[in-house]
Amino acid sequence: MPTELVMPHEAVERFFGRLIDEGPVMGPRERVSQPGFIHFDWLSDAADLRLNYQTTTIPPKKAFFPPREVLFEFELTDPLKITAVREAESFTLVGVHPCDLAALRMLDDAYAREPAEACWPANRARARVIGVDCMPDEYCFCTSTDSCYSRAACDLFLTPIERGYLVEVLTPAGEDMLRVSDVSEATDEDREQAEAFRREKAGAMTARLDATPEELAEILESEEHTELWKEIASRCYSCGSCNTTCPTCFCFDINDEFDLGLTGGRRMRSWDSCQLAEFALVAGGHNFRRLRWQRVRHRWYRKFVYLYRTFGRPYCTGCGRCSRACTADINIVDVTNEIINRARERDRQGVQG
Amino acid sequence: MIDHDAVPPAEDITRFYQPELARVIGKWQMTEMMVLLRLQPASGERLDHAPGQFLQISLPGYGEAPISFCSSPTQTDSFELCVQSVGNLSEALHDLRPGDFVGVRGPYGHGFPVEDMRGRDVLIVAGGIGIAPLRSLINYMADRRRDFGRVIIVYGARNPSERLFVEDVEAWDARDDFETWFTVDEPDETWTGMTGVVTVPLREVEIDPARTTAAVVGPPVMYRYVAMELLNKQMAEDDILFSLERRFKCGMGKCGHCQLNDLYVCQDGPVFRYTQLIGRTEAIEVWAPDEQKG
Ligand SMILES: Cc1cc2nc3c(=O)[nH]c(=O)nc-3n(C[C@H](O)[C@H](O)[C@H](O)COP(=O)(O)OP(=O)(O)OC[C@H]3O[C@@H](n4cnc5c(N)ncnc54)[C@H](O)[C@@H]3O)c2cc1C
Ligand code: SF4
Ligand code: SF4
Ligand code: FES
Repeated sequence: MPTELVMPHEAVERFFGRLIDEGPVMGPRERVSQPGFIHFDWLSDAADLRLNYQTTTIPPKKAFFPPREVLFEFELTDPLKITAVREAESFTLVGVHPCDLAALRMLDDAYAREPAEACWPANRARARVIGVDCMPDEYCFCTSTDSCYSRAACDLFLTPIERGYLVEVLTPAGEDMLRVSDVSEATDEDREQAEAFRREKAGAMTARLDATPEELAEILESEEHTELWKEIASRCYSCGSCNTTCPTCFCFDINDEFDLGLTGGRRMRSWDSCQLAEFALVAGGHNFRRLRWQRVRHRWYRKFVYLYRTFGRPYCTGCGRCSRACTADINIVDVTNEIINRARERDRQGVQG
Repeated sequence: MIDHDAVPPAEDITRFYQPELARVIGKWQMTEMMVLLRLQPASGERLDHAPGQFLQISLPGYGEAPISFCSSPTQTDSFELCVQSVGNLSEALHDLRPGDFVGVRGPYGHGFPVEDMRGRDVLIVAGGIGIAPLRSLINYMADRRRDFGRVIIVYGARNPSERLFVEDVEAWDARDDFETWFTVDEPDETWTGMTGVVTVPLREVEIDPARTTAAVVGPPVMYRYVAMELLNKQMAEDDILFSLERRFKCGMGKCGHCQLNDLYVCQDGPVFRYTQLIGRTEAIEVWAPDEQKG
């Protein structure tokens, strides 16, 4: 059992204000140029923090895996010179929903698989993380992916209660962040309110998958479902938004940039998308996932079969971002349930006939 | 839990992506499209590759690409790469001169299982630039000749002027203990050898299927026909090795570009047994012929 404390309303701004004074803090806030739009960004004033927010468009993984980052710089001298560049400053990432916490742990595991990648864990080691509980919208389905109550990868976790937040202290680093004036002991009443919040959250979840992750993997493995992929793909634009908004997608591209003088530059790592036509293209024009339906299929199999079999859990947190982002209305819950239900229907007919 | 005091220094973090320097010590234009580069790590250390492995070569500013070792690991003072000019980086690699530096990371991937091949007959099937990784294996077997049974080399090129490693090919041909079959698709007046795609001589080759391992590298279109030919010879699927090409970015099982169903070609391959590929829908060059329709 983690220690549970209470941070009353009046202490919240002071607490985050102090974190901001201590070092950089990234958290959910309104985009300056777009009032009402909440995204993860650096905070200079605790009053800007929005702990009660709906799922952001871009997940907080960007704090550790930025959309574009420099791997190293080079100078075309003789011999050529290569210089490593890394951010070293520590920071705090705050206001992360349980599904996004689950995603951080998934990327911890994916990047740690031998041979282990080093940028992700180095960036993770720079940051303390504070999670916060939330209420679902019609796209969320985290109860189907076992991430609704995730406390992975965080030092403190906040659950809204009447007098403020119930604070779960999960690590020594989390304990370090708190001061006596921030918190008081939690009572049974506080704990019951937090429990009630979680019950309300699960009860408010309208979207769900009609099979367990294991049943879904077995259904996907049992047959090709080619017709369905072709139907879905006929609506897809291959825009890649489903990947760029996904907290568990970790594929990337590597490209070089020259400075204007052409005497030096940098090697960049950037987010990539398996839905883009050139993702699997090689010289000579061979494309190993030439057809759109093959790319659509790949996204489902990677998340619900390949990575599921490797790591023992689906690489989908149920955050619903891909469905919200898709202008072609390709909804991950609807498509997945269609696969499940068609497979079950076929099974029933098989048994009868 | 994360240890917040344990952020390693920048060089250690980016080591995963950061190449070491290697010096070009020789360069030969083999054909219009192909150069052979001989390289030496600037550190003086050996790369110690296995035949069939690859490295990531880079020219900062132009990018990075996977290239197979084409020299034998028994050649220890340097290593060789054969580069086809197809795009940005490969064209720039054609402009290198001896003394220039490039970046290299590797060796990576699973090459040919030479330990498992000891004592067995080895049937090499090379199409076009596929001869490059196979030259590494062939010259390795030449230096360790007693470790292997028969060595049979079937090599097909589009036309006589596109044949690579002509000196090696002549040396293999001259050995009594190598059996060689050379063919070209489009002969010219200088050509006295066989004509036709690589399956034409392959059909004639007689093997003892139980004793033979086949190592096959060529353009994607070649694999399915070679597989049929080898299965006709009663070879076991497990004894047929294919080296596959995919788009690579990281070479270390992370960027996702090379994925073939659940396999990462850069890590689990690039050399696979046919048995590993059967049933995997994305092994489109060796299997799943229906995949490419509509
Ligand atoms: C295991 C393996 C071994 C290889 N061995 C050799 C070899 O010995 N000799 C040789 O000449 N070539 C080899 N290749 C192919 C070589 O990597 C590509 O031709 C090279 O990446 C093209 O790079 P470029 O910058 O010159 O071309 P670009 O300008 O990048 O593009 C030209 C074409 O190459 C494709 N391409 C781009 N990046 C890659 C990539 N990382 N991997 C594959 N295709 C890519 C593009 O889709 C495009 O169609 C090998 C590939 C693999 C996977
Ligand atoms: S967001 Fe929708 S349209 Fe865009 S690639 Fe994904 S599924 Fe296709
Ligand atoms: S696949 Fe969709 S619902 Fe699942 S984690 Fe990614 S964005 Fe969220
Ligand atoms: S090349 Fe990056 S995963 Fe294989």
